[in-house]
Amino acid sequence: MRIGIVCPYSFDVPGGVQFHVRDLAEHLIGQGHDVSVLAPADSETELPGYVTSAGRATAVRYNGSVARLNFGPVTASKVGKWLDAGEFDVLHLHEPVTPSVSVLALMAAEGPIVATFHTSMLRSRTMQTAYPIIRPSLEKIAGRIAVSEDARRTVTTHVGGDAVVIPNGVYVDRFAEAPRRSPWIGTPTAPTIAFLGRMGEPRKGLPVLAAALPEVLRSVPGLRVLVAGPGDPDDVTEGWPAEVVAACEFLGSVSDDDKASLLASVDVYVAPNTGGESFGIILIEAMSAGACVLASDLSAFSRVLDGGQAGAMFANEQPDALARTLVDLLRRPERRAELAEAGQRRARIFDWSVVADEILAVYETVIEGRAAAMPAQGRWNRFLRGGAR
Amino acid sequence: MSEVLSWVFAILFVLVIVGWYLSYTAARLDRLHVRLSGTLAALDARLVRRAEAVVELANSGLLDGATSLILANAAAQSLEAPSEHGHAREQAESDLTEALDLALTPEAVDGLRASALGTDVLSRLTSACNRVQLARRFHNDAVTDVRRVRRKWAIRLFHLAGYTTMPHTVEFNDESPEHLSVS
Repeated sequence: MRIGIVCPYSFDVPGGVQFHVRDLAEHLIGQGHDVSVLAPADSETELPGYVTSAGRATAVRYNGSVARLNFGPVTASKVGKWLDAGEFDVLHLHEPVTPSVSVLALMAAEGPIVATFHTSMLRSRTMQTAYPIIRPSLEKIAGRIAVSEDARRTVTTHVGGDAVVIPNGVYVDRFAEAPRRSPWIGTPTAPTIAFLGRMGEPRKGLPVLAAALPEVLRSVPGLRVLVAGPGDPDDVTEGWPAEVVAACEFLGSVSDDDKASLLASVDVYVAPNTGGESFGIILIEAMSAGACVLASDLSAFSRVLDGGQAGAMFANEQPDALARTLVDLLRRPERRAELAEAGQRRARIFDWSVVADEILAVYETVIEGRAAAMPAQGRWNRFLRGGAR
Repeated sequence: MSEVLSWVFAILFVLVIVGWYLSYTAARLDRLHVRLSGTLAALDARLVRRAEAVVELANSGLLDGATSLILANAAAQSLEAPSEHGHAREQAESDLTEALDLALTPEAVDGLRASALGTDVLSRLTSACNRVQLARRFHNDAVTDVRRVRRKWAIRLFHLAGYTTMPHTVEFNDESPEHLSVS
């Protein structure tokens, strides 16, 4: 199958959508499909062979955050050329309402189109003003995918119609096979817990964890807290009690391998995120690595953890609830083992081998419909359809 | 004289704009109708494939005779009316879903999984059921889009939809059998 995938965000910076596109493309190529990805990227950025750069991205404020996007007439013509050269059986657009290459490809494309909606945070004001412009183009999308129930709700309320939910994929084995590292492995007297994510961003929940730690340290004085992620520890720890700062070890940004090993080594992985998560891929990574997961009860997290079957949960933004659950877990190794095992089993349904098959089923459905509907097109017909590009 | 001329131009201008808008809207609607006939054809094909998978299961000899008969009967009902779209077809498909749900008890599924042939048939059936869901959802999305566009005044006033009938969403129970998904 010839598949064209369009990613609206720049490959220069890491991000959930970019990783999703990269992993999906690599998995499909591994299965023998012919895949080409179009994405913005700097000329210096090293790109995998299957990625075509749509040119440099510009930082733009859109939908409440700054995104690196790519637009303008030069980009539009690049998109057109890529589409012409690719002759794709199916075109898969990500985030089709983001003003970047996705929307340009949507406007220019003609064949069967599949679109994946990632975000659950579309502002209705943005949508109301953008709608009249892109509604006719959105009607071209034959198959809509949402990565989570929250993203699907965004589609049903703002775009109309429905979407199939196909979660983000994870290479479960990469995490399951990660080696454990002795400095990060806890002992009965000095157990380890891990936090991952940008420290300075409050919605990742580090302040909630910090507020819970004094209580936890009273019960488990030897606890070690491993904090991985970008940010300046001095800024973040300002105002924290001394014993909490002493219990924390800051690892800075970690590589993918280190992340997997960290998750595989610690006794409990804590995800105290307070909101804005539409999916929670990090939970699945932790579950794959065999970590016992303790997460806030956001609806997205609850769905990943199967309502608490595959990991422990605490009331969101409640440090005392977090402290209570954490202490309980640290004291009961058998409970941790049980949750870790359930988590590892559950993570399998998010493996790329499963997820990519579902995506391929969408491609096939859309292609089949197109093949059946293609009438013998005369030139006049083509002209009327406005399809003569 | 010049005043008459400018009026003529103004009217011409308006006519051109209106003409462009109408042809643009007609093209948009036409594209939607093409998409709609495609999704409907895909749904048809997927339903036929599901029914065939059920026939295969019924004929496999792995289920008891009574269950096989029920499944074969439900599948035949679905295969009998492939081009019809309406209440009867939807009922037949819902019945087939229900028959599958009744036939595939946890014990039956375990029994089928015990043999290579059974595993094979089941995996084909699972994939057929999932694809029916996809096809129906995509078709109903297309129906929603077409219905919304056809409510526009320009399309109603100028009869741009021609004699194509207003599409309706296809509603039937397409849940995968409860015990099939757990592997």
